[in-house]
Amino acid sequence: MARGGGNRSRLLLVILLVTSLFFITLDLRGVQVTKGSRSATQSFLAPVQKGVSDIFTPVGRFFSDIKDFPNQKNQIANLESENAKLKTQVLVNKDIKGQLAQLKGVLDLAGRGGYKVVSARVIGHGSSSAFSQTFTIDAGSSDGAAVDKTVIAAHGLVGVVKSVEAHSAIVLLMSDPAFKVGVRIARNQSIGVLSGTGGNSFSLQLLDPAGDIEKGDVLFTNGSDNNRPFIPGVPVGVVTSVDHSSSTLTQTASVKSYTDLNNVGVISVVMSAPSTLPRSIINPTPAPTVIVYVTPTPSPTSSGSPSPSLSPSVTPTPKKAKP
Amino acid sequence: MSPVRIALNATLLLLIFVIQETLISPARLPLSGFSLYLAVLLSLVLLENRTGAVILGFVGGLILDLSPSSNAPFGQWALILTGVAYVIAVNAESIDEIVSRPVGLGLFVASGASLALILFLILGSLLGESAGSFGRATIVISGNFFWTMLITPFFMPLLLTIREVTIGARERI
Repeated sequence: MARGGGNRSRLLLVILLVTSLFFITLDLRGVQVTKGSRSATQSFLAPVQKGVSDIFTPVGRFFSDIKDFPNQKNQIANLESENAKLKTQVLVNKDIKGQLAQLKGVLDLAGRGGYKVVSARVIGHGSSSAFSQTFTIDAGSSDGAAVDKTVIAAHGLVGVVKSVEAHSAIVLLMSDPAFKVGVRIARNQSIGVLSGTGGNSFSLQLLDPAGDIEKGDVLFTNGSDNNRPFIPGVPVGVVTSVDHSSSTLTQTASVKSYTDLNNVGVISVVMSAPSTLPRSIINPTPAPTVIVYVTPTPSPTSSGSPSPSLSPSVTPTPKKAKP
Repeated sequence: MSPVRIALNATLLLLIFVIQETLISPARLPLSGFSLYLAVLLSLVLLENRTGAVILGFVGGLILDLSPSSNAPFGQWALILTGVAYVIAVNAESIDEIVSRPVGLGLFVASGASLALILFLILGSLLGESAGSFGRATIVISGNFFWTMLITPFFMPLLLTIREVTIGARERI
């Protein structure tokens, strides 16, 4: 092993430390040179990651299947019983479906959804040693993806596009500690901020001191200005426990996301949300009004003096015309 | 350290960086996995004198700063790894033939990697980055320590061979 050093190495150390600090300052001041170097790396790495993902995904699945082999029998039994239940459920659903079709005509449920999306495959994961939670996806600016677009999976929110190249993009996951999203509680429409914690649970803090959270409350995204970075109405997660301590002004809770971020293979980047909410004019149909006319009518009495008595006559309006 | 060897080491580190980003990070190993890149870099640093270690730490840090998944400002890893490389080089001088002692080598490199991660967290906090809960950070750092200690003795012979091939006659003296 070579030995050496002294003043020369200490001088070099100081020079290189100062150079590093210079780079950090440039980056924090938003100089494009340093940002460009990361974009170039991403452009280079994305095809490699895609190739490696294509090669090693089947291998990984093979090994995970071997690992889960003892559980397979139980899984099959569970699936068979679940299948039987589902068959019964299908029969019941036919009746519900008919009712739902009628309800659908009355209520405009189509206000939700209708997002235009671009689907993409997850081709890489961020390094855990960088303490950031990211995905690399195989859709980029050439596919329409752009920075600050909402990313969703089959069951709800995944994250937001952090940076984009021609054929790839980096998605900041909702589990990243730097991730924050405005949410509303479906039950009482209270709004709050959901933050990632680096793990599988999330932290929710209400904005309204008078608002309340209950275990089982369902959370949706509240939406951002011009739908960037977040479109409204995307399912986020469910409240698993509520913190009742009085140390904070507003209530806080732990949340479990609908999307299992460890098992996401295909995601969608939301390109645009419906531009308007359903705001059709509602004409309330008036209910039939019942008018009661009271007229005094004389009735014969033993004294012969007339005394008024009430005999009501009921006239419902409007009347149906008889044919 | 000759410019040629700096370039060769940088190429090797770039290759390890690509392996790290494409193969190891997506593998989702237990205990949050590990950074092969940090392990290789700090092992290379061990083989150098102070001057060489500082240069290698700086170059290695710049390559790690290129990681597109990193939220840290460009230069943060360079700053930390330059300092850690110097500390490792100074301390390695007091341990004779550390590369021939697998357990000691593993412990030394793993400690260096953990120190780098802790400094990264501290500097990140000072710069306003959030790195998650204390528990999560502890799992990542201890997981990295465990894995690094485990794998370092296995690739060290390969690094020694590469060094023997690439080192010049003047540096050998």
